Amino acid sequence: MLIMNNSDNIIIFDSTKGINLEGEFQGSIITRCKDENDSIIFSDNLKITASEGIFITNGLRVGFELIYNKKLAFSRKIEAQWYEDFESIEYSILISEDIMQVYDEGQFSDAFPYTLNKLNTAALYLNDEEYGINHLEFFREEMLRNPVSLVGNGVIIADRVVIDERIDPVFYDCLIVGRDENGDLLVSFEPYINVKKSLTDVKYIIILGIEELKL
Amino acid sequence: MILYENRKELLLNIIKWGNNPFKKFVSTGEIKEDIDLVNSRINLIQKIKELVENETNFVLPIIGGVGSGKTHLFWALRNNLYYYNSIYISLEYVYKKLFSNIYSEFIENLEMEPLKFIVNQLCDKWGALERKFGFFHVVDIEKVQKYAFEQLSNKYKEVEPETLKDVINGITIHQLDPYRKIEAERWLLGEIMDAKELSTLNLIHDLRKGKNAYLMLKLLIENSKSGTILFIDDFEKIISITSPQSERAEEIFDPSWLYGTEVTPNDIAADKLFDKIVQLQNIKGLRIIFTLKSKESLVDIRKKYSEKIPELLSFIMEPFYLLEFKEEDVYELYSSTMSKFYESINTSEFANAFQNPYYPLNKRILKNIFERAEGNPRAIIKLLIKIFNEIIYSNECIDAILKNYENTK
Repeated sequence: MLIMNNSDNIIIFDSTKGINLEGEFQGSIITRCKDENDSIIFSDNLKITASEGIFITNGLRVGFELIYNKKLAFSRKIEAQWYEDFESIEYSILISEDIMQVYDEGQFSDAFPYTLNKLNTAALYLNDEEYGINHLEFFREEMLRNPVSLVGNGVIIADRVVIDERIDPVFYDCLIVGRDENGDLLVSFEPYINVKKSLTDVKYIIILGIEELKL
Repeated sequence: MILYENRKELLLNIIKWGNNPFKKFVSTGEIKEDIDLVNSRINLIQKIKELVENETNFVLPIIGGVGSGKTHLFWALRNNLYYYNSIYISLEYVYKKLFSNIYSEFIENLEMEPLKFIVNQLCDKWGALERKFGFFHVVDIEKVQKYAFEQLSNKYKEVEPETLKDVINGITIHQLDPYRKIEAERWLLGEIMDAKELSTLNLIHDLRKGKNAYLMLKLLIENSKSGTILFIDDFEKIISITSPQSERAEEIFDPSWLYGTEVTPNDIAADKLFDKIVQLQNIKGLRIIFTLKSKESLVDIRKKYSEKIPELLSFIMEPFYLLEFKEEDVYELYSSTMSKFYESINTSEFANAFQNPYYPLNKRILKNIFERAEGNPRAIIKLLIKIFNEIIYSNECIDAILKNYENTK
């Protein structure tokens, strides 16, 4: 089974709900990993078989790694990777083409031409008792392109993030993937979302480097 | 408290303040006209509308004498086919820089948002909106430009590489480079730019030079969702361009020294113009309507086509004719213009207020006007302007003024 240009969101794999759709999927796929740092994989394809597991080619894994007693954000290209044991994946979801088109429009908005592009991937915020990172004050009232964030049990991928005068991040033109109260996976597009650090469980915000996306 | 209002007196007073309901007798492509065609011409509009909706490429001649309402027909067409991009160009005034003039008119009519949409779609076709890793738009302008060049150079073999590069650079920089977007937008809108401004965009010419405007027109029209109608007035110019010259002007330079005695500079200019019109015919989705003053001109134009490009002769359709007004048309024209006038002075109720529906004139005068003008719309409007001017400026009472027109033949 090959699925592409889907008009609905398709939950390909969900470890919580026991969903496992075998086949080959193409489009915009978010895979959330079950590891220490809740890393996320963005890919335009995913193959899943009961015997061999999940296979991703040409994807981008985003997360944190511990190097010399410091946690550093990374975004790393996955050439081809098998995830044989389904244990390491929490879910994989194929976003509908309709939502992606709305998301694209936001990405090509010319209302904010002077948004900062970071060349390399870096952490803007990490909520960690031992290795915590907080550069929000430094970027106060600035606008940064390509943020990826983990807030509570949801993933936010946005066109840009603005750090407001209260040093809270405001995400613009964002896709949100999360679970509702029944644990079902949902996807939505929001023109903007204000995330108050004091009230919400922001785990991390990573700014993807433009040069690393070009790889 | 108003017990009685003399509406006739009020209307006459308003007119006497200098408000002539009939202001102009020559329609132009610049000033919008809201008055629709008279009943006898509605059929003509319907036929053109049918043609525009059924055919995507054609050349339609419309023949009508001087003052028969050819330019007014453009406005009626534009009002009726408002969902098309309708461009007006008169070869009487514009025959140099034809493409860039048509482009300016096209952009003015299209407006900014649809223009942005079309160029965005073009960039999408050239691979600019490709999603890396399924989500991220990583803009690689050079890659997009290279791909666009490969695509367009195969498609438009007749266009020079320099022109292709300029157009591709202008469009891609506008869409994909936020730091140079404003300058690129000026270029896209057809503004004149100096060499320094152009060099920051890696461009050689603005849209007034070379074939840049032609290629932009081709790309925009062929990729526009709504169809385009080009209305060319005074099309006879492609047969011969003769600028009025003073008889007393001293002959300093004899063009035959340069061009020989067989062809004049005007002939060469007319030929160039003809070539440009032929190029316009190659734009898919462009419907061309042109006006001529006589059947003979159409014969000449067909002859020119059969001599130079016989394969395009079949694009020229059988002509439609703009006939002179019928008597009823004069009454209709008068009533509709007066209604517009009443609306403009906030007295719409005047349209039905008088026993004589043609007040301050009357049916007899309108009939006389029709006969004197021999049904020619411009001559009719000229006469109406004259009568109203007389009402405005003369010290005689209105009855005395009108009596002259009732009796004149």
